[in-house]
Amino acid sequence: MGIESVFPKTLFRVLGIGIKDTVFQTWIVMAILAALAILASRRYRLWEPRRWQLLVEYIVEYVENLIIGTGGRAIPEIVPYLTTMISFIAIANLLGLVPIFQAPTRDLNTTLALSFVSWGSCQYYSVKKRGPVGYLRSFVEPVAFMLPLNLLGDVSRILSMALRLFGNVLAAEIIGAVMFMLVPLLAPLPLNMLGMVTSVLQSLVFTVLTLVFVIDSMGSQEDTSD
Amino acid sequence: MQPDQILQFVNVTTIVVGAAIVFGTITAALMEGRAVVRAFDDMARQPSVADRIRGILFVTLAILESTAIYVLLICLILLFANPFRSAFGF
Repeated sequence: MGIESVFPKTLFRVLGIGIKDTVFQTWIVMAILAALAILASRRYRLWEPRRWQLLVEYIVEYVENLIIGTGGRAIPEIVPYLTTMISFIAIANLLGLVPIFQAPTRDLNTTLALSFVSWGSCQYYSVKKRGPVGYLRSFVEPVAFMLPLNLLGDVSRILSMALRLFGNVLAAEIIGAVMFMLVPLLAPLPLNMLGMVTSVLQSLVFTVLTLVFVIDSMGSQEDTSD
Repeated sequence: MQPDQILQFVNVTTIVVGAAIVFGTITAALMEGRAVVRAFDDMARQPSVADRIRGILFVTLAILESTAIYVLLICLILLFANPFRSAFGF
């Protein structure tokens, strides 16, 4: 297991587009999430909830508290989205610890896709809250001079979110691989523990940043409605 | 391309990457230290909000850490996927 095994490999090509092994690792994450959802919702009980249902309810409640703590008010419509995002990224990062699997987020394409989803949700909620005209006006918000800076801010936001997640996961995997090459027995364990903390923390950071940007894109229109 | 030129390229890349990771992580480590010091200070002063401070501290540290991660990314690109490697023809 050399350091080259950390980087994603192109398995085969479809119409000239290389299909990497991270696609199949993403499918594994999706299967885990689907199994968790089935386990949690099968025989759903309001009273005496079961183990899996409690786990999912804990994550959902955590995200709800996060939204209230960050935005100052409950926003029920983004709770499923953020819960999916935090659990997907956490499971995807933690998949690198399972022996034959590797984290799909060590590929820049996966993290770029995730940050594009985050950016797209910001645009969606912005259009929904302000209307098309208000959405377009939000780009020239303080003065018209700020238009290039606002566009640049969007691009750099996408890039920084993707690169942050990618770099953290790749760094954890590379450190694990290097320690494994040097001392295979027990020496990578503490670094893997640090990697676990980083994995869960980065999923939380990605979700919190998405939440902050979504709340920011919703604007202060909410105050007039209630 | 001559072997000594390849050796020079490898030498320069290694030295630059080593220097970059040192100087790039110094700032991040110093500023993270400042954040941790202030957070612990406030936690000791007001233990009632210690949990809130701890949560915000972790997220802030992860965001500060990303500057060091950017340096690491540049170093990895220079080491493993150097864009000037093809210009030198190897």
